[in-house]
This record gives sequence, C-alpha cells and structure tokens, in this order.
Amino acid sequence: MSRYKKIITKAITSLLFILLFSFSNNVIAADGEALFKANCSNCHKPDADYTGPALKGWSTRIPNKDWVYKWVANPAQMIASDAYAKALFEKWKPTVMTAFSNLKKDEIDAILKYVDDYTPPAATTGGATAGAPETDNSLLFGILTLVLALVAFILLQVNSNLRKLADEKVGIHRGEPVPFYRNKTYLMAGILFLFALGGYYTISGAIGLGRMKNYQPEQPIYYSHKVHAGVNQISCLYCHGGAQDSKHANIPSVNVCMNCHKGIKEYKGDPIVKEDGTQVNGTAEIQKLYTYAGWNPDTKEYNPDNNMDGVPDGAKPISWIKIHNLPDHVYFNHSQHVKVGKQQCQTCHGNIQEMPEVYQFAELSMGWCINCHRETKVDFYNKETGEGNKFYSIYEKFHNDLKNHKMDSITVEKIGGTECQKCHY
Amino acid sequence: MKKIATISALVLAICIVFVSCDNKRKPGKIYMPDMAYSRAYETYAERDSNKFTTDPSLRGTSKIFYNNFPAAGTIKRGELFPYTLPNDSNGYKMSATVNNPLGTLTDAELAEAGRLYNINCAICHGEKGQGNGPISTSGKIGGIANFTLDMYVKMADGTMFHSITYGRNLMGSYASQLDRKQRWMMVKYIRSLQPKAVDANAKPAADSTKSKIK
Repeated sequence: MSRYKKIITKAITSLLFILLFSFSNNVIAADGEALFKANCSNCHKPDADYTGPALKGWSTRIPNKDWVYKWVANPAQMIASDAYAKALFEKWKPTVMTAFSNLKKDEIDAILKYVDDYTPPAATTGGATAGAPETDNSLLFGILTLVLALVAFILLQVNSNLRKLADEKVGIHRGEPVPFYRNKTYLMAGILFLFALGGYYTISGAIGLGRMKNYQPEQPIYYSHKVHAGVNQISCLYCHGGAQDSKHANIPSVNVCMNCHKGIKEYKGDPIVKEDGTQVNGTAEIQKLYTYAGWNPDTKEYNPDNNMDGVPDGAKPISWIKIHNLPDHVYFNHSQHVKVGKQQCQTCHGNIQEMPEVYQFAELSMGWCINCHRETKVDFYNKETGEGNKFYSIYEKFHNDLKNHKMDSITVEKIGGTECQKCHY
Repeated sequence: MKKIATISALVLAICIVFVSCDNKRKPGKIYMPDMAYSRAYETYAERDSNKFTTDPSLRGTSKIFYNNFPAAGTIKRGELFPYTLPNDSNGYKMSATVNNPLGTLTDAELAEAGRLYNINCAICHGEKGQGNGPISTSGKIGGIANFTLDMYVKMADGTMFHSITYGRNLMGSYASQLDRKQRWMMVKYIRSLQPKAVDANAKPAADSTKSKIK
C-alpha cells in the first residue's frame, strides 16, 4: 500500500511540476504579449514594418542583447554614441523611439521572446458578399405597357373589322371605314395625351429650374465620405468645424487633410468602384493630395518655400466644387441649425457617411425648408425644470399657453421661423 | 400624314431636350442669375482683380486682392495672447516652462473641452486617451500617444500645448481647428483623463472634476 502511495505521490508531484513549469512558461509568454501591447504596439508590429521596424528576427540584425537594453532605456543617447543606432535613426527619422526606462531586463526578454514566437493569426475569409445589385424595373414596365397598348390597339382594329364583316353579312353597308389616323376619337385622345405630357414636362421643368437635387459634380480628387466618415468614423466637425461656429460649414484646407495623410500614404480598404464600373485607385488620389499640399512623401517633408509666397513650392488650394448652392436672396446659417437647433448633418445632407461621392440629397427648395420649420420642435425653455434653451424664456404667451394646455409643443414656425424676412432680407 | 410626322418629331424633340437636361454632373439652370449669384464676394468664390502690384520686390506682376487676414498683432475678443515660441527643437524644450493660463475649468467648460476632444483628438488618441481610437486600432497610423503613460503624465502643460499648436512627429498642427483657448482647454481635458500624477513636478491633474465627465 505504501509503495503505491509513494508512486502516486511521485506521479502527482511530477505532474504538478510539469503543470507548474508549463504554467510559468505561459505566464512569461502572456506577459510578453501584454507588455508588447501596452508599450510597443503603438509603433511596432512583430512581423511588419510600421512606424518603427518589425521586431521579429531582431537577433539577426542588432549587435547583441545588451544593445537592446541600452537602446530601450535611452534611445537618444544611443543615437549620439552608437553607429548602428545612428544608422537606424537615419532610416526611420524624424521619429525617435520613446525611451522606456521603466522596462526591466526580464520584461524586455519577455517581449523579445513574444515577438520571436509570434505567428500571425490565420487570415479571415473575405468580407460579406455584396448584396444582389439593385435593378431598375421601370424600363421593363415601360415596355410591358407599350406591348399591352399595342395589343389593345390591334384588338380594337380586329373588333371594328369583325363588326364590319358581321354588318356586311346582315346586309348593312357602312361604306369604307375611316383609317385610325383620321379617326377623330384617336386624334383627340392623341392630342390630349401630348398636351398632358407636354404640360407635365413644362411644369416640372419650370419648378426644377434652380433646384439641383441629385447634383453630383466630379471633384478634383475622388474623395470618399464613405471611407472617411463611415469606415474611419471621423466626426463631420473634424473637417467641417465651421458648421458649429459660422454661416459656412467650411471646406477643410489642405493642412487638415495632411493631419492624417502625413501618416496614411496608401489606400488599403475595400475597392471603390465608380458607377461606370471603373475602379478608383485610392493611393493615386492620395498622391494628388500630396501634389496640392506640396508634400514630398519620400522625404516626409514639405517642399521648401523658395519663391517666398508663404506656402511650399508647387502647393495650391484644391478647387473643390460646391454642391449645395442657395441663391443669393436666401440667408442660411449653419451654426444656427447645428449648434442652436441641434440638427444632425444627415437631416439635410442625407447619409453622407455612406456616400462614396456626395450628391445633393435634399431639394433645398423653399417648400422643403418651410415644411421642416413647421414640423420641428424647438428646445423650448421649461420654467419649472430649468431645462431647454434659456433664450425662449421671454416667450411669455407660449409659456402661459403651455401651462393651460392650449399648446403641447412649440415649433420653429411658432417662434417666427416661417416669416419671410427670417431668410429673405 | 404630314401632321403626324410633325407631331411625332415634336414629341421626340421634347423628350431629347428633357433627357439631356437630366445630367447630375451639371449644376442645372436657374432663372434670374442676378438674384441667384452674389454681387459681393462670397466665401470660396473665385475672385479676380484688375489691380497689380507695382513694388518690384513683391513680384510686380501679382494681382492685388483684398487681404482678409486680421491686421498683424490684433487679438480676437476673448482670445488668449499669441503663443510666441518657435516651431523648432529649442522652442519645444522651452515650452515646458509655459504655464497653462486657464484656471480650473467649470463643469460646462470641461464638457465643452470633452466634446472638442471627441471631435478632434479621440479619432486617434481614443475617447479615454489611451491611444486606441479607430484610426489607431485599425493600424492606419502608428505611434499614437497613450496619454495615460507615465511620460505623458509627467509632460508639462506647455509642451502639450506646443505639440497641439505645431504638431509633433506624424501629428499635424491643430492651430487651424482649435483656437488658443480651446487648445489649453484640451490640455486640461487630457489631464483629467490621466491617472493622478506621481511626479512632484507635474501639474496636479484636474481630478476633482473627473467623475463628472461622461
């Protein structure tokens, strides 16, 4: 019995030991990963160059492990004193690695072990398949209508011929029938139809004069709002900050583009396909931006300003084409709607974050404005709770009417939002 | 017969006119252009000038345009004094000595700072300042600062302001998007995201207001 006990004890001990060993090993590996993600992953990837070089295979490139410890503790000093460090800086400048003097030697070891053992996760299979392309059925319906009209016409002709035959059989002679193009009923119907058609086009054309719904000009750079505001979730106000402060929403100047595009040189997202089926080369479009900005992506610097005009040589503003145009006799202020009215951009501009190329979504006609002013409720001041826009505290009559339940809410129209001189002056 | 030919030709012509007008790449037509287009210069409108410079040092062929920059040395009402340190390594070092001119922010000011932070900064630096915004996590730009790291906790307010004003490494200048007061507010807000400073040199973070940020 005691012999078994001994064997069992030994077995358990060795098992525990193995477990312990594998466990502690795991701890180091996990630690390495955690340390790497916390400290290094912002600039380094294990297996690919990023802001800094790929870390995997470090031992084949750098002099010795001691060098790593020194480098991590104080890169600036190493650049000054060490030849390899200087060469490294020359390659990756102007970015200098941040010093991590708080990392201990065993922690650096753990990170190095993690990057050496790193294997990229298996690539996921391609994204969701695109939905079936939407087909426009109006042509099909048009043809069907035409065919049915033709059939009806033929049947009418057959009918009249048959009646003529039947009449002849009975003995009534009707004489030569009038051909259909001289038949007064047909002519009248045709004229009425043309009159209605012409009237429809004339009226809708006249109403449409000056309205540009669906206007979608070709811009100097193929800029996709879907990629920027949709996929990358950049706030509209990042580029169009004027919308909260001023009349205009602002077209961003090139330096705002360069805030990100100093770092983003290539387009690697899903392919962008234009309506005519051609594919947009995103990287080439970014290159166009660099030309406008006077930026040299190879040296990572702006061109020198030799002609002293205050901008890098060769730089010029991008002449974007304005899509949403209001006539001069209408006043519209963005900040009034965005900041005070708290309207979303999408209310008037549509689902911008899903538009590869922007088009005018709303009609921007007077009826469209007025409709919205009639339906939209203002953030009316509530005297009891103190909530809402304090500006409205002066509307004494409305406060009384609300109290007496004569009204339940205040729309923009009620505070004068449909007065002519609000927008026309 | 002749009549029918005329009518069908007319219909065809009308159809062609209206089909060809339906071009979404063209802005379309307007009536009364003198009411639709502004006589005064509108923002972004193309301008031309018939006056030329005569000063040879100013490239004599240049046209003179109305200069809409404010006069040099003027300060917008309510705006802070200009930041004078230059954009070079010396200016960067000197910036550590510049103090934040703003006192403790009120709740409303801090909320406004947070709103501006979420618009302009969070896209890279993350809503909590941990360097994990959408652009960062998708791996599009690397080397994004994690404000909760010790080195940023210890970083002087002035150095942060300097970096926001002029840009740093891959980050561009935010001077065109945020005015001086907003940039200092941003520094305050970043402080409120950071863990409490351990270094005696660092400014005490605005921790008392931390819990009020959404």
